[in-house]
Amino acid sequence: MKAILYLNQFFGQIGGEELADHEPEIREGCVGPALALQAALGDQVTVTHTVICGDNFMGSRTEEGIDRILGFLNDKEFDIFFAGPAFRAGRYGAACGHICNAVQNKFGVPVLTSMNEENPGVEMYRSKMVIFKGGASAAAMKKDVQAMAKYGLKLLKGEKLLPAVVEGYFGRGIRDMIWLDPPVKAADRAIDMLLKKVRGEAYQTELPIPKSDRAPIATAITPEELSKMEVALVTSGGIVPVGNPDRIQSASATKWGKYDVSMLENLQKGEYMTIHAGFDPAAANNDPDVIVPLDAMRAYQKEGKIGGVYKFFYSTVGTGTTQAEAARMGREIAEELLKDGIRAAILTST
Amino acid sequence: MKLTLANFHVKDICFGAKTELKDGVLTVNKEEALAVVREDTHITEAELHVVKPGDMVRLVPVKEAIEPRYRVGGGPVFPGVTGELMQAGNGKTHALKDMSVLVVGKHYGGFQDGLIDMGGEGAKYSYYSQLKNLVLVAHTDEEFERHEQQKKNRALRWAGMRLAEYIGACTKDLQPDDTDVYELEPVTKRPKAVNDLPSVVLVLQPQSQMEEMGYNDLNYGWDCNHMLPTFMHPNEVLDGAMISGSFMPCSSKWSTYDFQNFPMIRRLYEEHGKTLNFLGVIMSNLNVALEQKERAAIFVAQMAKSLGADSAIVAEEGYGNPDTDFTACLVALEEAGIKTVGLSNECTGRDGASQPLVSMNVKEDAIVSCGNVSTLIELPAMPAVLGELESLSRDGLSGGWGNDEKLGPSVRPDGSIIMENNAMFCGDQVVGWSTKTMVEF
Repeated sequence: MKAILYLNQFFGQIGGEELADHEPEIREGCVGPALALQAALGDQVTVTHTVICGDNFMGSRTEEGIDRILGFLNDKEFDIFFAGPAFRAGRYGAACGHICNAVQNKFGVPVLTSMNEENPGVEMYRSKMVIFKGGASAAAMKKDVQAMAKYGLKLLKGEKLLPAVVEGYFGRGIRDMIWLDPPVKAADRAIDMLLKKVRGEAYQTELPIPKSDRAPIATAITPEELSKMEVALVTSGGIVPVGNPDRIQSASATKWGKYDVSMLENLQKGEYMTIHAGFDPAAANNDPDVIVPLDAMRAYQKEGKIGGVYKFFYSTVGTGTTQAEAARMGREIAEELLKDGIRAAILTST
Repeated sequence: MKLTLANFHVKDICFGAKTELKDGVLTVNKEEALAVVREDTHITEAELHVVKPGDMVRLVPVKEAIEPRYRVGGGPVFPGVTGELMQAGNGKTHALKDMSVLVVGKHYGGFQDGLIDMGGEGAKYSYYSQLKNLVLVAHTDEEFERHEQQKKNRALRWAGMRLAEYIGACTKDLQPDDTDVYELEPVTKRPKAVNDLPSVVLVLQPQSQMEEMGYNDLNYGWDCNHMLPTFMHPNEVLDGAMISGSFMPCSSKWSTYDFQNFPMIRRLYEEHGKTLNFLGVIMSNLNVALEQKERAAIFVAQMAKSLGADSAIVAEEGYGNPDTDFTACLVALEEAGIKTVGLSNECTGRDGASQPLVSMNVKEDAIVSCGNVSTLIELPAMPAVLGELESLSRDGLSGGWGNDEKLGPSVRPDGSIIMENNAMFCGDQVVGWSTKTMVEF
């Protein structure tokens, strides 16, 4: 079986920060950490190629970088794709996530990477791929590579995969049932948990409830203020111009788009549509205003209830989108609006 | 209240001339037993089978499981259901252990029915593959619901209860192998040593979502939808006061056998007087309207507080809409200062990443999770099927489907199946048997 590894310019032995704009390339055989990966995989899997790309290149020209690397891989046979380990290097971690995600989507092969818990790439991509919990620096190289290789071999051999915490990767938010070994009955576990809780001792719930990050409801705007304000429309309902120019994903979105409606009275069927994969699109495609109510806002504008409608509406897709991604996109959109002096927005969901 | 459950361990079941239990072998006179089944003229076809652990037999659509019992001194095993109303939970009842009576539809199933594999890799998904089972496979003339996804299964479920009473009665003059005694002193009359222990109530949320009568769990024959949370003695539950309904995806369902044996109740009894003071059961429900859910949570928390409960265990029979009641109840109890543990299963969807409960609150910080209704299960064909395999695909069983774009039909031409755990008969065992838990991948 065959594997390919992705490295940045530093670990690909091109050079340091001064060479971070290094264009993507693919080399036959093993470069740098690929040798350690090959050693860890043993003789059943061959690391046939090493892909190298500068962190700046991947950070600033992401789509181009991904496209070029996918191009390199088009005619290669491989059963698994590795990236990193990226340790605590933020741009490298994000790059490993970008390329792994693109590779698994295009080629359907398993992808594995490794990062330190403080690497921002972890929160960006942990729900989409297996990211092993790696060390802070290259001192952990051997250990981190071995962890990826061990799990990769299990995947390729179809062996039983254990929970994230046992395998050593960041949980992907995928929950499933397992049989306990030894088989402790639920009634026994409930009594154990209850006694510990009553006695004030530490216990572990079997269903951790994620803390929801609730934003406080803003203070009300007076009708007088509102009549002078431009109001922005923002949606997670996936309304975009037909053709989806920003290529926003239909599920698990990481991108948002903004579209100029300053000259429009409403959103016409055939010009706008939804790309949201989480509901029946018929009604929204027939009349996109049911999700982005530009028509109603224009009516309010004419009545003088609002001062106007902000020139852009913002759109992304809410289905399957992680809380971390949604919060990031929300912050980015809010920053733009604030910069343009917008103080009121309507967020429509589906 | 003192309940003595006199146990008769059944080592084997066979058919013969006389219905009797001798040296652990239960012999069933088939004709006599079927005559009891046919007392209801709505039963149009009926046959009996015996299945044992390891048998390569698939049962579907399974509608109910019941432990055969006999009430010493007379009276129905299920007061208000199979006979007159009387107090359950006080006195002596015979129980045939290590076996159950299973009721299987000869042709048609529905949303609430499930599947059991007695052997092979599928056996681990249901508790009932560990038991010797007397299986009633029957058909009825209940045309009004023949093609309904939701079925009351009235004739079949009642036939199962009559059969369980008939079998149980053969122990009338026999001495049990052993006995279990369940006794709780009245709440205000307990010795100081017991009163000084942390006190606990068990809150049960049996299924009551259907507005129309005939589908929900019954409490002494009373539809749980028409009930407000009420205080019960745990012995009543163990002694036939509660019977299972005919609604709820099957892995989340509690069969009548589950109620009769309720492992969480038995476990609390074991702790009573040692580490905990078991006050009793608050029987709540799972009605669908938000106001009814909130009202039930208020009643439960008030009752627990008035009883002086330091702690509580809450168990729900269901998922989805009932998660709202579960969470509301846990939150209400925590807000009343009662330290609470929840027993539930989860529904994480095809991607495994969906929100596990419909309603969640950070105050529910101690949950024992018993299974995942969404887990996809693929099983090979079985040499024998009792019931009708096609029902899994055809009749809207909660974990089956006619055709799926990616997965194809649940029942394949070669007899192999693919289904969600959802349709495994009482598979998630939230009553306390489950040795499954949920983990993150």
